[in-house]
Amino acid sequence: MGYVAAVAGEELIQRAEALFEKQRVAGDSDDLTLEQLDDQLGRLTSQVMSEAGLYAPRLAALAVKQAQGDTVEAAFLLRAYRSTLERFDETRPTLTSEMLACRRVSPSFKDVPGGQILGPTKDYTQRLLDFTLADSETVDPTAGWELEEAGEPEPLTNVMELLREEGLVAAPENPAADERREPVDTTREPLTHPVSRDAVLQELARGETGAVTALGYSALRGYGQVHPTLAEVRVGKLPVRIEHPYTGEEVTMTHTEVTESEAVVPLYAKRDDPQFAFGYGLTFGRNERKAIGMTVLDASIQVNSTEEPAENAEFVLDTVDGMDSFGFIEHLKLPHYVTFQSILDRIRSIRERKEAAAEPTTDQPGGGDETDADKVETDRGRSIEASQGAPEGSNGD
Amino acid sequence: MTEHEQTGLADDASAETATEGGTNDNRQPDRGTPIRAETVDAALDALHGEGMAGYSYAYLDEHTKREVRRATLKAIAIPGHQVPYASRPMPLARGWGTGGIQVSLSVLGPDDTFKVIDQGTDGSVNAANIRRLAEETANVSTTTDTTEADVIQTRHRIPEEVLCDDQLLVLQVPVTDPLRKVDPSDAANRKRHAHRNYGKMWVHLYENVVEWGEINIGASYPTMVAGRYLMSPSPIPRWDTPKLDDADHLSIFAAGREARIYAVPPNTRVKPLAFEDRQFTVERFPDRACHLCGSEDTFLVELSETRDGSDGRFETCYVCNDTSFCEKRHSDPDRPKDHHLDREGVDWGPGTPDVPRTTADDAASERGESG
Repeated sequence: MGYVAAVAGEELIQRAEALFEKQRVAGDSDDLTLEQLDDQLGRLTSQVMSEAGLYAPRLAALAVKQAQGDTVEAAFLLRAYRSTLERFDETRPTLTSEMLACRRVSPSFKDVPGGQILGPTKDYTQRLLDFTLADSETVDPTAGWELEEAGEPEPLTNVMELLREEGLVAAPENPAADERREPVDTTREPLTHPVSRDAVLQELARGETGAVTALGYSALRGYGQVHPTLAEVRVGKLPVRIEHPYTGEEVTMTHTEVTESEAVVPLYAKRDDPQFAFGYGLTFGRNERKAIGMTVLDASIQVNSTEEPAENAEFVLDTVDGMDSFGFIEHLKLPHYVTFQSILDRIRSIRERKEAAAEPTTDQPGGGDETDADKVETDRGRSIEASQGAPEGSNGD
Repeated sequence: MTEHEQTGLADDASAETATEGGTNDNRQPDRGTPIRAETVDAALDALHGEGMAGYSYAYLDEHTKREVRRATLKAIAIPGHQVPYASRPMPLARGWGTGGIQVSLSVLGPDDTFKVIDQGTDGSVNAANIRRLAEETANVSTTTDTTEADVIQTRHRIPEEVLCDDQLLVLQVPVTDPLRKVDPSDAANRKRHAHRNYGKMWVHLYENVVEWGEINIGASYPTMVAGRYLMSPSPIPRWDTPKLDDADHLSIFAAGREARIYAVPPNTRVKPLAFEDRQFTVERFPDRACHLCGSEDTFLVELSETRDGSDGRFETCYVCNDTSFCEKRHSDPDRPKDHHLDREGVDWGPGTPDVPRTTADDAASERGESG
């Protein structure tokens, strides 16, 4: 009798886990070290940290290794771990103008204070497979560069600030001092709609990179009004500061690498004093695609309409989280015997009713048996076609 | 671990009243659970208690458990109303019972016995996985016997055996709002609930009848709770829905991904939506009996299998979906569903008589036997 497809106990689960782990170690290659992952696959660990909402490069590398490179699974491991940790303190807010940028481009102005810093990027590289990477020794292509002493790095002027000083861009909402509140933390407070902008930004910052990119793209593709001009995109490090528990003084604990993106949107915020609207994006690590996608979505959500998917905060926030979408999509693999039996009952009932209605009375005059049988067949075929919209399935369990 | 860790629902009720007077209490940053200890080493030692090393008792930290219990209490106080809570990431994937396990772990204590069923069976992999998480972190004993369990976490079934007033049923919920099928927006639906405005749902059911001659909803049949809130009973089959009406036990519905908890307290009126001329009906199993135990009064599922002498041909047969009760019936075919109670004849199971037999039903059973 095998009527429970998966009769199980701990042993079966452990064996499945073991088989999964075996896939990782089945080859002859050396085990990946966390240092290798952190050093050489930084984009991957960045993505995982940003989707997890936890800046921890070594843990991210561990998660990537354990998940065999599945980013959503790795982010999930980090989030589940994070949720068990004690919260000792909260950091002081940091102005991103303090950022020490290794890369900064401004598509809106050719000359910006501080200049364009191309920095490390593949943007203008021809996408050709580099076969020398396949088996060559690692070489540092910058080893022969002659560098001048550049002195202390200086923070860059924020392009958006320049535009705001000129009154061209609407300012973010700045509530009066007595109305200010602590920012919402959506990991500790349930999200309900209408949703405040700080909650939107937090959810977007933790959004799945592919989902943020796709939804942001949808707005550009025509399903929305937002087509921004980027004020600047920056990659760099920001200090993490806390108040020292004994001295009460501000101390810098560490730095986090972030990608920041800001955009002006040619939608005039006010009629009497026309100003550009704006969008903002910030992610942990190097992930320009996600930061820009987030910028488009932030701007779109501020339009606040239900006309377009990207402009509907509920739609975007309901679909953008990798852990939610991954879990629910994959839960379809779970047994659904009960719900399926329930819906089988409905479709059979409806089909029987239709068949009964189509069945000719036995003593009907004229008409051979065969013709009647054909007619029933035809009707049955039609009723199958007609049931395309129904039944309602198992209601998404 | 400590007394503090084992607070139950009752303790939390008083805790809530105590803090209610405080202003902006919930805006305070979450500073975690204080540990009283003389030295740092003692504090670190105190972190290690029963359960999984490095984790709190019952996995969740005490703040989370308290929050879940508060949401649960609120849900009990407003039957059928969906209470938001900050669902935590769990070590299980969302959509796989993370809401249920948060409620279960928040109410379980070391003296409790825990049962987990997934689509009617204790044996499924996912049920086993949830069970071992509770076993490992909360030190509970587990059972497959419905009558022995204090807390039963279930995915989409209410057991065949009658539940008692000292039992807690935790139902996993995928889609919290029955109105979702008529409007995807939770913001709009929250307003509808506030105004008890269920017109759109009634129209939906009416259109069902017009198009199909009957209401074609399978599982998660929309029900009114205490005459006030429209509620999804989670995707339990219609067969189980009447068991919620005037039940002795407490049912808690928990969604992890959607971060909502709602409840049906004992002895609460639960009424499926239906029309006077289109009654609520449960799944029909005309002339069917369980292939294993012979029961005719249980929810059956069909399966195809090859039998001896069938030349490898698949045949359809029916078996009880509640595997634990099926085993009992196997050794004692006449065991009633309320065998463990003092009283007899408890109305538990299909709430409506089977729809009157029609010729179509006969045709269907003939077809079933030949196919």
